[in-house]
Amino acid sequence: MPRRWPTLLQHALIAALALALFYLSTRLFLGGETLIASGVLILTGLAIVIYAWERAYTWRYLFPGLVGFGLFVIFPLTYTVYISFTNYSSANLLRFEQVVNYLEGETHLSADTKYPFQAYQVGGEPATYVFILSNPASPEKRYRSETIPLPAAEPVVHPLRLVNADETPPGPALPLRDVIPLRSGLQKLSFKLPDDLVITNTSLRDFGPRLPTWQRDPQDDSFKNLITGESIRPDRNAGHYELVSDGPSGPAGQKIGPGFRSWIGWGNYVKIFTDKGIQGPFIKIFIWTVIFALGSVVCSLAVGMFLAVLLQWKELRFRKLYRTLLILPYAVPAFISILIFKGLFNQNFGEINLILNALFGLSPEWFADPLLAKIMILIVNTWLGFPYMMIVCTGILQSVPDTIYEASAIDGSNAVHDFFKLTLPLIFKPLFPLLVASFAFNFNNFLLIYLLTGGGPDMVGASTVAGQTDILVSYTFRIAFRDSAQNFGYASAIAAVIFILVAFISWWNLRQRETALSS
Amino acid sequence: MGTVSIKNLDKTYPASGKNQAFRAVKSIDLEIPDGEFIVLVGPSGCGKSTTLRMVAGLEKITSGTIAIDGVIVNDLLPKDRGIAMVFQNYALYPHFSLFENMAFGLRLAKTPKAEILRRVGNAAKILGLENILERKPAALSGGQRQRVAVGRAIVRDPKVFLFDEPLSNLDAKMRVQMRSEIAKLHARLGTTMIYVTHDQIEAMTMGDRICVMKDGEIMQVADPLTLYNQPDNVFVAGFIGSPPMNLFKGNLERREGRLFFHETAEADALFVPLTGRLAKLVADHEGKPVVFGIRPENISESPYATDSTPITATVELSEPMGSETNAYFKTGSGNLIARLHTERLLAMGDSLTLHLNLAKAHLFDATTEQIIR
Amino acid sequence: MKASTQERLKAAAAHTLLIGFIALILFPFLMVIAISFRRGNFALGALFPTGDDLSLEHWRYVLGIPYTETMPDGSMRTVKASTPVLQWFWNSLKVSTSASLLIILLSGTAAYAFARMQFVARETLLKSLLILQVFPMVLALVALYALLQLIGEFIPGFGLNTHPGLVLTYLGGIAIYIWMIKGYFDTIPVSIEESAKIDGATHFQAFVRILLPMSAPIFAVVFILSFISHISEYPVASVVLQTEGQWTLAVGAQSFLYEQNYLWGKFAATAVLSGLPITAMFLFCQRFLISGLTSGGVKE
Repeated sequence: MPRRWPTLLQHALIAALALALFYLSTRLFLGGETLIASGVLILTGLAIVIYAWERAYTWRYLFPGLVGFGLFVIFPLTYTVYISFTNYSSANLLRFEQVVNYLEGETHLSADTKYPFQAYQVGGEPATYVFILSNPASPEKRYRSETIPLPAAEPVVHPLRLVNADETPPGPALPLRDVIPLRSGLQKLSFKLPDDLVITNTSLRDFGPRLPTWQRDPQDDSFKNLITGESIRPDRNAGHYELVSDGPSGPAGQKIGPGFRSWIGWGNYVKIFTDKGIQGPFIKIFIWTVIFALGSVVCSLAVGMFLAVLLQWKELRFRKLYRTLLILPYAVPAFISILIFKGLFNQNFGEINLILNALFGLSPEWFADPLLAKIMILIVNTWLGFPYMMIVCTGILQSVPDTIYEASAIDGSNAVHDFFKLTLPLIFKPLFPLLVASFAFNFNNFLLIYLLTGGGPDMVGASTVAGQTDILVSYTFRIAFRDSAQNFGYASAIAAVIFILVAFISWWNLRQRETALSS
Repeated sequence: MGTVSIKNLDKTYPASGKNQAFRAVKSIDLEIPDGEFIVLVGPSGCGKSTTLRMVAGLEKITSGTIAIDGVIVNDLLPKDRGIAMVFQNYALYPHFSLFENMAFGLRLAKTPKAEILRRVGNAAKILGLENILERKPAALSGGQRQRVAVGRAIVRDPKVFLFDEPLSNLDAKMRVQMRSEIAKLHARLGTTMIYVTHDQIEAMTMGDRICVMKDGEIMQVADPLTLYNQPDNVFVAGFIGSPPMNLFKGNLERREGRLFFHETAEADALFVPLTGRLAKLVADHEGKPVVFGIRPENISESPYATDSTPITATVELSEPMGSETNAYFKTGSGNLIARLHTERLLAMGDSLTLHLNLAKAHLFDATTEQIIR
Repeated sequence: MKASTQERLKAAAAHTLLIGFIALILFPFLMVIAISFRRGNFALGALFPTGDDLSLEHWRYVLGIPYTETMPDGSMRTVKASTPVLQWFWNSLKVSTSASLLIILLSGTAAYAFARMQFVARETLLKSLLILQVFPMVLALVALYALLQLIGEFIPGFGLNTHPGLVLTYLGGIAIYIWMIKGYFDTIPVSIEESAKIDGATHFQAFVRILLPMSAPIFAVVFILSFISHISEYPVASVVLQTEGQWTLAVGAQSFLYEQNYLWGKFAATAVLSGLPITAMFLFCQRFLISGLTSGGVKE
């Protein structure tokens, strides 16, 4: 068979992609991310095999989708589960190596050696300066810097060269009051002496060398404080360094330095189900989540089905127009409608209270009263959700043959009787899986809660942030991202619990649907 | 030359999920000479379509070989086998015009424009589609669509045409018309054609030879009349013909020196005295279970010249058709259907003396279901 | 009562009910349109602003046209819009369009394999995709954040606070679309592609030249559903996009309604401006979408 250019192009593309990925994995490897580098390498290898090997053609179609899914669904999921077994939080933010690096990088100013300086302005717009430093230990030596623009955007280390003490300065030295405005620029400035000692700015008059505070023992990663002589060692369970014995910084066991992430096993899960301060709000939120999801489905189904049945009535005019208008809440992006409602329900400026006030003299506190807030959420969600139910019901209603209504009319039935005895039983079965899916969707309806109430009003007496209208997802989100403690580990544990619940619901629903289809 | 030679062809679908492994075609052999119109017929699930699809290259071959024009095609792509196929649901490309539908394969093969025009034009002329080549398939009737599907096959200029139940989606009238059109096409082109159908009338009317299949095995390959008159086994006997051949299970018994077929039944058992050819043929099966078969048209109210044997039976139902009457008589295990050329209406409960033309009756071994010859 | 009179009464009741209900449904929209044309940021004034109340200040603001505003102390000042509403709109459009196109690409090819090919663990894989997909992305934000940070380190332009990075995170949500497209492919007879194969098409040619053009309607449905769901997506966007200039509408619109800085009028104009085209698109494609929805998809 002659080689055609599409196949050549195909090969060239594969080769280019493989090269790019290979380059990426090399860079990752050099960057120290060995695990991820090998992951990318394996993927590259797989991609080459799949796209070059004729018999693997099935996987050519699956590969891109599965990689996307793996990277952005399965990886986050596994990572979340992993985090749920750690104490990752704003107090234990860094990895252990990062904490070690942090301690190794901690310095203090040497009290003994100081290098007084004089600053000379040598240019304006942008202002540039030359610094001349003296060394009290050997007064005959002077150090002169290159021309430096101040303030600098980033911390910079400038070299100094040795000059004679009698070398003429570039002009008059700046008086102290002119040095003061330079302070912020000075703080970012460091010099490197000819003997490689780095000195940083310590005051408006001096530069001085910085010395490491901690000395590391590579054996067990413990550190010794070079100023106080105290020793600290890592507590890998609690995720921080602590003092070995009583010292000037505190008693033995005192936490020192930033915390690091550590594996704590089932700790977060145990906390959900046993810690009183957490368990109480958790159960409350769980119950409200179920009520909210169920209530939303039932309310929007009731309204949606009623309208669908009404609009089935063939004699009714303008049916199409009505239907289009009724779909509007579904057509408008949810974030817009939710925010509109947030504004309309606003206690002081909201139009709804304005009208209620004018008519009945009422001014309900929609966002401050837990019960009213919950009612408001259900109203808004019914408003958002009924068009979907209406669309779905209309679709299913069309599969119900008209003849059964004709038959029942001859039997002397009426509309209400028709609906409850004929329509409802007939459409409920095909409707059910969609209702379950809708329940699962509302179970995790983060957007509504977060944008409308943000979970508020807050619960009193909970040991983490917890709102009266929070559902599990929004609660988790707040714990992880909006609470000052940013307890990622705990949030991930709840996330895992939610996932198991919802995954079970959808698995069950899928099976129901299958058995319904096969029967 | 469009010879097709199938040897030890086997197809097993591997087990997947809840489905168990399934052997759809069981080591069949079939030789199809060049220019023959052969029909594969059988009930659904008999492996006829699977066999055709293996010839087409749409289904992997588990074992055995298929050779077209002497070349083993097991590992060739469909397009390289020299075949063209017409599908049951026409399988037209709905987004292409008729012209594009027929030209698609030629375009893929980078055929020069002039050649495409010539070949499509030629096919369109044969099928009378010249004036509607710019239409889309959706604008056509079922018969026209099927014609386009045939046209698409003609354009490929294949060694072998494959038809997979091409008439099943048409209404009865259209089916009859297309049947003769395909037969004419075969006469005109003289190309080998393999035609799959579940309809035995289609098979009988169209095929040079018919291959009857059941459960993945070939039951009999023969020309239509041989198949009708000399079925090899119970299955073929019952499958070919409408109304079907009467088949009764029973024993051969000898009473007072004469051989009888005695139906196995509690009451109303059929009791047929055997004479002539049959009696000689089955002498050594005496006392053994057999299946007795006779076609409805070989039963009459008046005696036959030779090998005629009388029985009495009660009418259970009669369907007067005008020229003839299909009468259902009560027997032990069901009905005996007779196609009677009678002028009078039969009433339920009437007792009649019927004459069976034993020269055209068959006896089958009940255990092997093969004919006793 | 005569049967015809009874019918007529019933119809009248139904119309009254429907009109009343629709009025209730449309109330928020009409309010917001009115508010966007009303002077100031407070809920005072008529449903249809007239005379002194009528003002285009919010519209000028969101469209970036300078306007004069009355300060609380009575003085006037000229304001040049500093909030890049149009920029956000453009960002949203960019992100949602590219995410939807890529999702179609990924889910379309995968759905083809699921619908047309036999391979190991096909059913299991298909079901697992759907079940794993229910894991809400809100909860995986920590992981997504870390992932984007890492990607950003090695492939600049795809990290945090970038649109390509945000689009990448959206690519995980393909399971429901794979199911929808697969469902559609299942309704197309396999014999059409087989016919193409006999005509000499390769797998890929049969897919691209035969199956894809035939499936245009479902791709339209998937595109629109995905577009709408991504334009509304808030949590991931709010964490990934950190600077105001990068925000999408969903993130930006929210910033008008802080309790401390309550810009109701400006929000209203933004809402109308951004809601209109999307709503129009939805209504325009209504028929398509409804058939897609009734076949089992759920809006996300």
